[in-house]
Amino acid sequence: MTIAAPRLEDTKLGPKAGGLYRHQSFFVALPFGIFTAFIGWLVSHALLQNSNWGSDMVVTVTFVSWVIGFNAGIGTFNAPFRWLRGKDQTHDDHLYAAGVGQGWKRYWKYCTDHKVVGTQYLVLVMTLFFVGGTLAMMIRTQLITPHSQFLSPQTYNAIVTVHGMVMIIATIIMVSGPFANFILPIMLGAKDMAFPRLNAMSLWVVVSAVPPILSTFVLGGTDSGWTTYAPLSVQSPPAQDAFSITIITFVVSVTVAGINTIVTTFTMRTKGMSMSRLPIFVWGSIVAAAVGLYAMPAFLMAHSALITDRVVGTSFYAPAQGGAGWLYENVFWIMGHPEVYVILLPAVGAILEVASTFSRKPLFGYKVMIGGIIGVGVLSIMVWAHHMFTTGWAPSLADPFMLTTELISIPTGIIFLCIIGTIWRGSIWTKLPMYFLYLFLWNFIIGGVTGIYLSDVPADQYFHGNMFVTAHFHYTLLGGAMIGATGAVCYWFPKMTGRMLNERVGKWAFWFIAIGIQITYYGQFWEGFEGMPRRVANYAPLFETANQVSTTGAYILMTGWLILLYNIIHSWHKGEIASANPWHAKSLEWHTLTPVPLENFLVDPVVTSDPYGYGEPGSVPGAPAPEPAVVGASSNQGGSH
Amino acid sequence: MSVTEHDMHVPLEGGSHETPQERHRMEHIALWLFIGGDAFFCVLEIFFWFYLRSLNTNGMWRGTNCSKANACTDGLGNPLTHPIAKAAAVNTLLIAVIMLASAAVIWFAEVQAREGATRKTTTPLIGLALLLSLGAIAYQIIQFQILPFTTIDGTYASTFEFFMGSNLAHFGLVAFIGTGLFLRSRKGKFENGSWYHLHLSRLWWVWIALSTTVLAIVSVFFA
Repeated sequence: MTIAAPRLEDTKLGPKAGGLYRHQSFFVALPFGIFTAFIGWLVSHALLQNSNWGSDMVVTVTFVSWVIGFNAGIGTFNAPFRWLRGKDQTHDDHLYAAGVGQGWKRYWKYCTDHKVVGTQYLVLVMTLFFVGGTLAMMIRTQLITPHSQFLSPQTYNAIVTVHGMVMIIATIIMVSGPFANFILPIMLGAKDMAFPRLNAMSLWVVVSAVPPILSTFVLGGTDSGWTTYAPLSVQSPPAQDAFSITIITFVVSVTVAGINTIVTTFTMRTKGMSMSRLPIFVWGSIVAAAVGLYAMPAFLMAHSALITDRVVGTSFYAPAQGGAGWLYENVFWIMGHPEVYVILLPAVGAILEVASTFSRKPLFGYKVMIGGIIGVGVLSIMVWAHHMFTTGWAPSLADPFMLTTELISIPTGIIFLCIIGTIWRGSIWTKLPMYFLYLFLWNFIIGGVTGIYLSDVPADQYFHGNMFVTAHFHYTLLGGAMIGATGAVCYWFPKMTGRMLNERVGKWAFWFIAIGIQITYYGQFWEGFEGMPRRVANYAPLFETANQVSTTGAYILMTGWLILLYNIIHSWHKGEIASANPWHAKSLEWHTLTPVPLENFLVDPVVTSDPYGYGEPGSVPGAPAPEPAVVGASSNQGGSH
Repeated sequence: MSVTEHDMHVPLEGGSHETPQERHRMEHIALWLFIGGDAFFCVLEIFFWFYLRSLNTNGMWRGTNCSKANACTDGLGNPLTHPIAKAAAVNTLLIAVIMLASAAVIWFAEVQAREGATRKTTTPLIGLALLLSLGAIAYQIIQFQILPFTTIDGTYASTFEFFMGSNLAHFGLVAFIGTGLFLRSRKGKFENGSWYHLHLSRLWWVWIALSTTVLAIVSVFFA
């Protein structure tokens, strides 16, 4: 499409546009953060080292200084302090912050363009998965024989802890980061997120949260698992302080991002985009964001109290001083179980987009599905204590929590049936995203059904704390949510990068991943049935065969992920150029140009029908609409595949 | 970004394409969501208080079960042999009252701005509210110094001081916003009906005053 009108990104900016932003980037923030951390360490070491909680205080002050310094260096505080001084940003400042005239360098800066932020998130998520995956392979390598000396028990515990939390952080942002930033505003017909600066802030704050958790390895390692149960975590080495700083920083990022997503959806929809026409991915994202707003304060509270126990000697969690480990467990799981759905719901929304597009059928039971998503969100806040059945806390509450937990399988089942209903008798176009949809269905049913066992008090008495639990939540979070997110990458890759993902290499990756997951986690179910406990560096010879099966699967799985990573990187640079709508899909993101212009649409789109009207008269055409973009008013082109 | 509600024809200063009313709606929703998250944090603080108080593990809520014969130990292993004295209620309540007063003043400043007052009226009022919030910060720090216990003296002491720390963090944010409002008011940013930032700030300010009051009531009357 030839565009005669000048684009916003071609605007010539004044020499002072952007102000301080001109001098800031990741390459400034990194040394500045290190410098402030060093100053923090120096001062705290001089003043506090000899106090009662010396090294904990020093580590805490150092990493708080790092987070503040890094964010000051990247530009997080520019706008608030400008506002403080009564100086508003000019039009040129806004355009500079949005990356105008900076080319690829904007990807290293505090850029307010939601597409840049989405791409930055995608790279961050892949980096975190690479780190977490490497740690996972070290764990599985250690467990290949009963008395392996590959890792010391202390190192093993530290690796298990960091693997868990890095993966949790990565999975929380794996869809809500890249796609709720890049894709969601375009789906709504919006020009950007509601709060572009907060959007960039959410990204860079979470970037600053990563080094503290990785530094735990050189601070003695934290040995309390990703749940960091107290009072063990109160007694852990100073690495635990760095771990908690990561959590507290991460909570700020997720809260800000969640608010931004909700406000964008409620206030920035284009004309005709009623709530009943919202793409299902948007529903998944806003319900997850809302659940996150409930869950994240609990995460903040749990770790704020933990860090004060360690740094200033409060006694929230140490029974010897009047505290209670149960208190931590309660608050942690008030966060912890809803957080599963914060991870899962956006991925489910994304995979539903894939289901409709590649089945060339309208979504089956759209409104019922929305009810299912909201139902999951609401029920998720009423189930936390099923993680505490075996702790001895409030046995009389076991039955109610068993009931609420089992109830959540109803809305989950509804969503599942709606996916099946959508692809049932569809004109299936079996492209790479569809492969991952099938894998999602297979894994998610296994993860879901095994979850019902764990919600059942008698069964949980046996399975709790053993490898069955590990297999269950990996089937759910990796096999379900992460595979859904991978399907989303394959689906939206052409829109985000302007290139097609290589299908042939992608299918190789798919088969390695699909087979690897089954072998790895069937092996872990086997270990669980035999009674092998979690988080042990060495085990009885009884469990050897199951562990060897699981480790073999893990290597197959790793091979698949590496092939996929290669495919993403290679296709991003040298892949076939993508058209604006390679899937002939109907939602708005496919009805704008690729690469997407700065404010997404050259003419504001008007929506007249839902985005799933495949095969329905009067639905949207499957190609970029001419100006003005009137979506849903043209004749049907669906069902061609 | 300065936005006005009274005049739709005033162009925004860049980057935003929404009308001022749309922008206000966005910021309003965002603020209420943020207050909602903060309110849940406040609820969790209160949950901590009552959970630990009712559990009273080893009699260490206020050391009520501690005696020479049954000496509990603090976070450093030192024996506690007597109940911990309560914090002086007057200090806790006065801090809350100061925050309520500052919230009332900022509210009054907003009302004045809505009625078309100039910077000569709004700036002193905002300055007064800012001073009160700074006073609350100073008073809170003083209270830390004069408490009859420290963080290590059982769970009552721990939770009480956590409340105070939480107050300080919130007051700091209020003072930051108050400073911005004051400097902007001096530049006339709230004149001619451009009171919207004042309105948003007031909502946050009132919430902080209320949450401080709730925490004060809990810590004074349910110790």
